[in-house]
Order: sequence, then C-alpha cells, then structure tokens
Amino acid sequence: MSTPLDEDGDVAQGYYRQPDSFRRTRHGIELRLPRWEGSVLIELVRQLDRMLEPPPVDDPLEALVGLRDTAPPPPEDPALARLLPDPYPQDPMASGDFRRRRTDDALAHKRDAARRVLATVPGPGEVLLLDEEAAQDWLTTLNDLRLVFGTRLGITDDNYLDELGDLSPDDRRLPVIEMYELLTILVDNLIRALD
Amino acid sequence: MVHHAGASPADGKGAAECVTIGAVTATAVSPAEIEEIDEALSDDRPWVTLVWNDPINLMSYVTYVLQKLFGYDRATARKLMLDVHHKGRASVSSGTRDEMERDAARLHTYGLWATVRQD
Repeated sequence: MSTPLDEDGDVAQGYYRQPDSFRRTRHGIELRLPRWEGSVLIELVRQLDRMLEPPPVDDPLEALVGLRDTAPPPPEDPALARLLPDPYPQDPMASGDFRRRRTDDALAHKRDAARRVLATVPGPGEVLLLDEEAAQDWLTTLNDLRLVFGTRLGITDDNYLDELGDLSPDDRRLPVIEMYELLTILVDNLIRALD
Repeated sequence: MVHHAGASPADGKGAAECVTIGAVTATAVSPAEIEEIDEALSDDRPWVTLVWNDPINLMSYVTYVLQKLFGYDRATARKLMLDVHHKGRASVSSGTRDEMERDAARLHTYGLWATVRQD
C-alpha cells in the first residue's frame, strides 16, 4: 500500500499544495475543482467508462436473455484485470464460475458509478454537494482510475515513485504520473472529508 | 474479524421462508441453503475472505473501506490494514463460501484485492 505523504508529512514531491477539493460541511461533502482538473477528470472517467464495456456474449440466445452459460475469459488488459481480481487464483474452475456469475454485475456497478460521476463533475466556480451515496460513487471511481494508472505505470512496489527520482521533462511517463498524483490527492482529500 | 453467523431473520435472502396457513407452518428450504447444508456436511471448515497487499491503494483508503464494509472500528480496521501491509495479507471476514464470495465482490467494488478460500 502507499501513502500520499513523504516522511516529513508533505504531499508527495513535485505536487503543488492547493486547498482541499473535497470539504466536509454541515450540509454534506462539498466538491470544488479548478477548471483544468474538471476537464481532465471528465476525459479520464470517459476512458474508464469505455474500459468497463461488458465482454461480448457469444451465444445469441444467451445474449437475448441476458444470462451467461459460459464464463467470459479473464481480462487481457492488466488494468482491467486489476479492477476485477480473481478470488480463486488456485482454482480455475471456481474462478471461471465466479466470472460467469459476477463479471457483468461488477462491470455494471462500476460503470453506473462512473456515469453518475461523469454527469456531476462541477464546472469552474461551481460547488457539487455530495450525499453519502454520491460520495461513495466518487470514491470508488477515483480509486478505480488510480488503479488503472498505477497498473499502466507498472507500479509494483511501495517505493516505486520515490525510486523514479527526477524525470526529464520529456519523459513520456511524466503526464501519467501527474494524473496519478492528482488522483492520489483527490482520493486522500475525500477520505479525510468522509472520516 | 467479522463472522457471518448465517442469514438473520431480517435478511430475507437465502433464509428459510416460513409460510403460515392457518395453524399450519410450512418451511421451504431454498436451493442455496441445500447447497450450504451439503457443504457443511462434507466439510465444516469455515471459509475466509483475504485482502492482499498491493502497491497502489492508499493505507488510509484501505482502513476506510474495512470500516465501511464490515463495520470495524477505526483501530481494528487500521490493525487489519497494517497486517495486510506488513504480512502481505489478512483475513477480514469468515463464514460460508457464499457469504465470502459476496464479501470479496464488495471489496472488489472498492478496488481491494480480495480472494476467498477455505481456512
């Protein structure tokens, strides 16, 4: 697991300090986003939404009744596989059966949350008031995006970002790392507001 | 660790349905329950849900999710999170196989890396 703070308790290096985006008030949790963060988030959540497309059902009859008789294969994309962990890594039969029964629901659940988030991203100067349910949608969607970016970056151990050191300004990983750190700050903000 | 002691009367899912017709009470057993009984007869070791360490999820996030999904107080949730972090994994709940699958699916909704196995 990771933490957004370095040893001095500061936000991870290279990231700017700014007022908390999520704030607990007596009405609920308020969200304000600077213009560029709002537009970046809309783009990222759209990409997540596309990733969460249910795998095709091959048999036309099964497709018609919306039930699967055979398990979809495990996701080929490692980022999608990270969003849908295999609960039976030692037992391929049980694992396939779990995918058959649960994959569609798991994807639909994540997708519905992502779409509710997408529909409510506050514009510049706007304040979004989140009730408990909306806060959970935001939390799981932002965290799913972190998992996707972290997997794409190939983060395999807790010290990955520290060990990267200073990247040159034209390193292709830089924009991805910036997105990852933005998501880290937002998830951390929201947990503090929820606690 | 949260232990599921089977479905409570308030929780209709999977519970025996009692139908009262006049003075006669008929009890219907659902297929899921028969499966559970079969399982219990063949092997009564409990099933557990394990959460595994991963380098991406935040420690504060994992603590929050364990509190939210299982009703742990903060100290217990934090201890489980630290077990995951230092030992690589921790059991977070125990019960029937069906219950553990549901717990794992809920943890997957929150992006935690959860697996199910018999203890």
